[in-house]
Amino acid sequence: MSDGDKNPASTPTPLADVQGDGRWLALHHRFIADSKDKEPEVVFIGDALVQLLQQFEIWRELFSPLHALNFGLGGDGTQHVLWRLQQGEMQHIRPKIVVVWVGTNNHGHTAEQVAGGIEAIVRLLQQQQPQARVVVLGLLPRGQGPNPLRERNRQVNELLQARLPRLPNTCFLDADPGFVHSDGAISHHDMYDYLHLSRHGYARLCPRLHALLLRLLGECQGAGP
Amino acid sequence: METRGEPQPANRMSKGDSNPAAVPHAAEDTQGDDRWMSQHNRFVLDCKDKEPDVLFVGDSMVQLLQQYEIWRELFSPLHALNFGIGGDTTAHVLWRLKNGELENIKPKVIVVWVGTNNHENTAEEVAGGIEAIVRLINTRQPQAKVIVLSLLPRGEKPNPLRQKNAKVNQLLKASLPKLASVQLLDVSGGFVHSDGAISCHDMFDFLHLTGGGYAKICKALHELIMQLLEETPEEKQAALA
Repeated sequence: MSDGDKNPASTPTPLADVQGDGRWLALHHRFIADSKDKEPEVVFIGDALVQLLQQFEIWRELFSPLHALNFGLGGDGTQHVLWRLQQGEMQHIRPKIVVVWVGTNNHGHTAEQVAGGIEAIVRLLQQQQPQARVVVLGLLPRGQGPNPLRERNRQVNELLQARLPRLPNTCFLDADPGFVHSDGAISHHDMYDYLHLSRHGYARLCPRLHALLLRLLGECQGAGP
Repeated sequence: METRGEPQPANRMSKGDSNPAAVPHAAEDTQGDDRWMSQHNRFVLDCKDKEPDVLFVGDSMVQLLQQYEIWRELFSPLHALNFGIGGDTTAHVLWRLKNGELENIKPKVIVVWVGTNNHENTAEEVAGGIEAIVRLINTRQPQAKVIVLSLLPRGEKPNPLRQKNAKVNQLLKASLPKLASVQLLDVSGGFVHSDGAISCHDMFDFLHLTGGGYAKICKALHELIMQLLEETPEEKQAALA
């Protein structure tokens, strides 16, 4: 893309309060305020797939012990996460790892644009959090049967798989344990609305992520003070 | 089977169908993966396969309830089905109930929880939409006792949606007693603190309930359902005498 092209997915944009109760901004400010006296080693940032994870027992089992904070906001696209970071959502903390999981809500954007948005998040994190390793999670398939969004998400992952390893301190993890069955269907046992994960869906997905985080944290320790 | 036109109270719209919140309306597939219809179709299939004694229908407040342990503890044992879809308005729920989600089943209790997503409608219209749902259920499932759950406050601090939801509840308190086999269960208390704030511990995004938040409302709901399930026709007759 030439310099003149503006990618909406990589243009920091706040979420407009169309409903009238200011919840998005309130949560953004709460994340900043709550992190003032915390020293997380891992921060998760992204959309509802991040946010909902904290509502299940698995968060307490696998990620709380790693001193993790959760900055997920349902409905967020890459441009919203970029805005939150630019506005200092992580200004009080210096985690060792940042897990980024966002992109499935970028409606109307091409796979190329979404990948560009995720890369912009990674670059911003490298500026703001130079000490941190960034883990980007692949977008999951969605919808009960085959549909264009599955194809788009797959293309985003393909682009990220190719580009992210070239960035320093960054890795890409496709944590999909195989949600799409041989008949092309996704089960509501894994995704209760064919988008958001159930407890069962998270249980299938989280172990690989957890293992990666343990390994990276171990490497941080090995590297010394 | 449509009932004959019913006389409308003076303070309501003169024709039921001039309230957009009371007009059945399928959700459009704006995102491109048709998830709303997929969920609806699954619920219709559930009606063919299963014999629920209790049916929950509504928006994400209903849908998310099934994701927490409390569903398995309190409601699965009652043979309950969950037909919640996130984002639904009263118009969406009306459409679903008219298009298969009340067929082939004969639940004893139906729990209705919807209205907080009706952003295009006034409080009066939202209450009218909920009443339309109750009337539809009365027609299609005359044996079912209906519990309508009050709308909850939302947002971290006081805001217009809290007032609107409270107004809906107020209107329902007045209008539901005039309909058959329905009661309003007000579960909205206990969420707004003395400083006007709602806590993330109850609503993780100041709208959707956490496990702790659900625990606050499910005790009363479970008790009421149990009571309604235990009421036999004979007991009800005796109580009325």
